[in-house]
Amino acid sequence: MRSLRSRLLVGSLLWTAGLLSISHMLFLLVLRWHAVFRINPHMVLLGGAVLMLAGLLYLRGGVSRIEQLRVRLIDVREGRSNRVEGTYPSEVQPLVNDLNALLGEREEAVRRAVAKAGDLAHGLKTPLAVIAQEAARGEGMGSEAGALIGQQVERMRRQIDYHLAHARAGAAGTSAGIHCSVADSVDGLSRTLRRLHAERGIVIESDVSADHTVRVRREDLDEMLGNLLDNACRFARVRVVVSSEQLEKLIAITIDDDGPGLPPSMRDEVLQRGVRADESAPGTGFGLAIVRDLAEVYGGSISLEGSPAGGLRARLQLPQG
Amino acid sequence: MRILVAEDEPQLRRQLAEALGEAGYAVDSAADGERADYLIQTEEIDAVVLDLGLPKIDGLTLLRRWREAGLFVPVLILTARGSWHEKVQGIDGGADDYMSKPFRMEEVLARLRALIRRASGNASPELRCGAVTLDPRTGRVRVDGAAVRLTSHEFRVLSYLMHHRGRVVSQAELTEHIYAQSFNRDSNTVEVFIARLRRKLGSAVIETVRGLGYRIEERT
Repeated sequence: MRSLRSRLLVGSLLWTAGLLSISHMLFLLVLRWHAVFRINPHMVLLGGAVLMLAGLLYLRGGVSRIEQLRVRLIDVREGRSNRVEGTYPSEVQPLVNDLNALLGEREEAVRRAVAKAGDLAHGLKTPLAVIAQEAARGEGMGSEAGALIGQQVERMRRQIDYHLAHARAGAAGTSAGIHCSVADSVDGLSRTLRRLHAERGIVIESDVSADHTVRVRREDLDEMLGNLLDNACRFARVRVVVSSEQLEKLIAITIDDDGPGLPPSMRDEVLQRGVRADESAPGTGFGLAIVRDLAEVYGGSISLEGSPAGGLRARLQLPQG
Repeated sequence: MRILVAEDEPQLRRQLAEALGEAGYAVDSAADGERADYLIQTEEIDAVVLDLGLPKIDGLTLLRRWREAGLFVPVLILTARGSWHEKVQGIDGGADDYMSKPFRMEEVLARLRALIRRASGNASPELRCGAVTLDPRTGRVRVDGAAVRLTSHEFRVLSYLMHHRGRVVSQAELTEHIYAQSFNRDSNTVEVFIARLRRKLGSAVIETVRGLGYRIEERT
């Protein structure tokens, strides 16, 4: 008698047998009272029907909470929530509590792993900076080894940046229930990029609605918009324009520049890992690939188009939060 | 021009100090946040290269403290932390520029030059006073187009006076800005440098304002 089904079957058979014998006795009693008190048979039928309906509704109440549990579990899996919400029948509640504790531990473990990945990346960068300086000095004195080491250091830097961003993106799916204001992120980045590109005097205009929020962690939204805005500033002649609009459950953020633009044949290519549209321009070649990967983790997308302003338009779509 | 390098990695600190020294700056170094804070409070520093992960007091805390205290020395953050979120925090903390490691030394030098130039209110990279031009990018000084060879201390004196042209600069202020703290100073040597500069550039370029100091007139 190990399976739940056979136990239920036997249990309900015993229960029914008992119920039948009791109702048989009740039936005999009702027959007698019927003669004595002249009970209306319609009322009895109606009463019986009401009781049966109430029983059904009561049962459904229990079953629907199990159904609700399934919906909440899907929410957790798809990142809309980071724990199973709500109260459940006493048989299920301990299970839900254990599940929530497990989810909490997992989230903490992922957070620690990402922090370690960050420490590793940052721990490598200072020694890399030292090696890069020595290599540059060697190269200045005509050493081939210096040039080679310089190139390899640059490759290592890109690998570190790319994989660190990836580790962070991979962990992002576990933190749910977040709302991040697009306007706040764009404002902070505009202040920063005006400083970083101060020599070029680029104008950054923001036309982002204050109530557009996305379901993305602030760090990751900053990383995506930072890379896109930095690219735009680097290639723009004088002006970069950011705007946002709502498309059903998505927020679309467009970044336009008035620079030379990018031929359509190269637009897909630059979104692929490790390809740089302009090898001579300084900066991270992985920037756009990181944006694409981060956007996909959050269920969004990135596309490149021609801009009405003359240059390139980057269009980032992210789920509304 | 005096630069403070606040970096805890000794090799990198040495490399930065060497490269900045070669570029004609006087360089002070600090291996931790307390030392950097002390130097900023007590010395005349013209720009700071600041690492964020400093021992004792971290760079961002230092920077915020300086800005709250009304110290607006140009600061270039040079850090391993290169995410955009961290860049925004650095700039909002009061930094004037932000670079992540590893870096190209030429870029650090170019960005520092731009910071110092903007901080002294000069719009064009090349400084010009009458017949004398000074290009901080190359360290070249010309009089009527002809190159003049200057020693590094002569260059520092001229560079400081030209960055602050039109203003009287005292001998003490000049001394503060041309020597690093570790250097044994003697304010009489400023007179020697001024005399040599006058010999090389022409006596009318640097004016002595009796009892106050020296001035290079604002002329175009």
